[in-house]
Amino acid sequence: MSRSAVAIIIRAEIRAWRNRIARGNAARIVGIALVVLFGGIVFGGSLFGIAFAAGGALPSARDAILAGAFTALSVLMLVVGFPTVIASYFAGRDLMQLILAPVRTSEIFIARSLFAMSANILFGTLFLTFIAGLGAGSGASPLYYLLALVLVVVQVLLISALQVNFMAAVLRWVPARLARDVALAVASVTGAGLYLLWNLTIRQSFTAIRRRPDFSNLVSTLQRLDWLPSAWPGHALSAVINGDAASALGWTALTLVLAAALLLSAGLLYERTLLAGLGLLGGVPSRVRNRGATQVRVARAGSASPGFAIARKDWIVYRRDIRRLSRFLPALIFLFAYAFVLVRPSNGVDVFWSGVFIVAFVSFFMSMLLATTSIPSERRGFQLLRLAPITSWQLIRTKVLFTVVPVLALTIAITVASSLISGNAPGRAAQVAALAVWLGLGCVCIGVAAGAIDPHFESADDRRMVGMVGTLAAMGAELGFGLLSVGAFAILQLAQQLAAGSGGFGFLPATPLMAALVSVVAVLLAAGGAAVVALMLWTANSRLESFEGSITAA
Amino acid sequence: MSIASGSIAVEARGLVKRYGMTQAVDGVTFQVPRGEIFGFLGANGAGKTTTLRMLCGLIRPTAGTALIDGFDIFKQPLEAKARLGYLDEEPFIHPHLTGREFLNFIADLYRMPRGPERQQRMERLLGLFELADRGELIGAYSHGMKQKIGLASLLIREPSVLLLDEPTNGLDPRSARLVKDLLEELAARGTTVLLSTHILEVAQALCRRITIIDRGRLVATGTVDELRAQTGSAQATLEDLFLRLTAGPESRELIDRLLETQR
Repeated sequence: MSRSAVAIIIRAEIRAWRNRIARGNAARIVGIALVVLFGGIVFGGSLFGIAFAAGGALPSARDAILAGAFTALSVLMLVVGFPTVIASYFAGRDLMQLILAPVRTSEIFIARSLFAMSANILFGTLFLTFIAGLGAGSGASPLYYLLALVLVVVQVLLISALQVNFMAAVLRWVPARLARDVALAVASVTGAGLYLLWNLTIRQSFTAIRRRPDFSNLVSTLQRLDWLPSAWPGHALSAVINGDAASALGWTALTLVLAAALLLSAGLLYERTLLAGLGLLGGVPSRVRNRGATQVRVARAGSASPGFAIARKDWIVYRRDIRRLSRFLPALIFLFAYAFVLVRPSNGVDVFWSGVFIVAFVSFFMSMLLATTSIPSERRGFQLLRLAPITSWQLIRTKVLFTVVPVLALTIAITVASSLISGNAPGRAAQVAALAVWLGLGCVCIGVAAGAIDPHFESADDRRMVGMVGTLAAMGAELGFGLLSVGAFAILQLAQQLAAGSGGFGFLPATPLMAALVSVVAVLLAAGGAAVVALMLWTANSRLESFEGSITAA
Repeated sequence: MSIASGSIAVEARGLVKRYGMTQAVDGVTFQVPRGEIFGFLGANGAGKTTTLRMLCGLIRPTAGTALIDGFDIFKQPLEAKARLGYLDEEPFIHPHLTGREFLNFIADLYRMPRGPERQQRMERLLGLFELADRGELIGAYSHGMKQKIGLASLLIREPSVLLLDEPTNGLDPRSARLVKDLLEELAARGTTVLLSTHILEVAQALCRRITIIDRGRLVATGTVDELRAQTGSAQATLEDLFLRLTAGPESRELIDRLLETQR
């Protein structure tokens, strides 16, 4: 094997990576570095602390904890690290150049490994702090730390090899880019699910009723999984702590043999997989829809509407654009989880106001998620809309109408559910639902407008489709609109009480006249909120009309 | 050459586009009568695409006016755009739609009444461009197929003016021939075509008149014979004329130097 080819490829990768950093926004890079450093210290420190405590306090559960931890790491790497593995090994544009060059596939495989495993290496590094903490808490010997390092590295290699083996099968039917997008979607959903599961487990283990944390459920769950190969390194480390050399050697050998077998098969399969991934073997169709391929439906006669055309197109594209779904689905999981936490009656907040808070939260969350990207997500297709005989205002209106439907449906569904769970009176639930419609409509208008004010049509990354100005405009305007609207709603409640002859905080006379005066204040506040929305829409319309950038393909 | 104003389909009146200190287009003026195929030639970066984009309303000119069928593209955009079809050198398409879905989207966007007539027209176009059996998403199309679906999306709604930026770019010889025949047929039926291309044979074969833009300015306009007369070279091909009108003396020197380095 020529070592120089591997070195040349790695050097080029590092140079490209360095150029990207050197030519990026310096402030942003420093910001990201600080966040990563701070996050690493906090997260790594927490992991170390938790493991240290567990190692000292739960000696009987060490084996289950280590086995479970290695399994969790494997699942995390397998799922969350998969998009990086696919992108580096199979879907990178520069791979074609490497294939055409006189370089062996095995050399490409080795050279790309560093970057392919980057996500897995990151998880592995953080995981090492946990393992180190457990060792320190258990008073483990230096051999433990050395073996831990080796086993974590082996586990990273093993999982990456497993992913390549898996792709060897998948790429016979699915193109690499689609596989990467699907993997990203699965990774996002799994990541969100794991985070919530972790939170629920922690909640279950530490409740105010119990005097001491109860880990029995957690430990019994982990014990059920300790036969998995992903748990073998954990058993090896546990054996080292217990001074059982034979057992430690056995589990380590098993892990090494499995890793070697998977790596060998990955190396052997990579050549064929790589060619299939790049579509060079043929026979890998790119999303053929049998139904649409030949079936010609006779369209119903009638007039055509550009608004409906855009909405219909958006609906089709949204379902097919897996990258957007990968952003939407985990967010939806978090939304339901937080709504569930907010709706729990134990929070000590009045049921009615808890409902108001949920409505405000869901409207804000959903509009940031769906509305802000609705215009930038047109990407190059935006030029088609500019060429068409429709106005910018028609486009904004269509986008608002298309986005407001799911936002209102979800907000009202959560409002109704929370009212049923918390026993809110129907009349009061109707008031909250009316507020939901007002807030949902306003937030969606603001979100769509913010996306139109600062669109990044060329961005390949959905999270960067709206620029900083647009994001800040959306957050500021939604905050202003939300405060004015909820303020108006609260004052209307007060007016209602004053009209009924109650309330008034002692200093306001509970008379019909005072109720009318207070209502006027509420209307003024609501008008202020509407003015914020109108200002955003007007700015968005002007920005779209004056847009004249050329949009290159992302 | 004077043309009656009622028969003018495309008119550029003193179009200027400046980006800061850079003058991309400098006072471009021309008229294209109805039913004519008009060639728009120029080297890379000469200002062709900027001019076309000003004509179709994607870029607002710093000065000047662009008229489509007598409608100002910026003052009466809806009227002008309803009559206009523009094909970019990289067509604007939605990669997540199938070809058929995309054509339906465009037809709806331009308010073409739904029904069997529209459906038949769509199927005819898909068949003509050999896209009828393609069920995959446009994102998986080859460059030539994207070009074809872009053209089909213009032809489905029969605009009276077509602005085409390199329409045969990436097409196989058979499809390129089909496009040329189609354009001639459309022009014969009264459609006006403004064709920007680098392929001089296409321009010479299709266009009645040609204009050449260089560094943002029109340097010559007329039939090939008129251009020959303007440059005083009776036997020159369009390629010779183009090079003479756009290339400076430094080009020859550059070529000589390049050849020398390779010896």
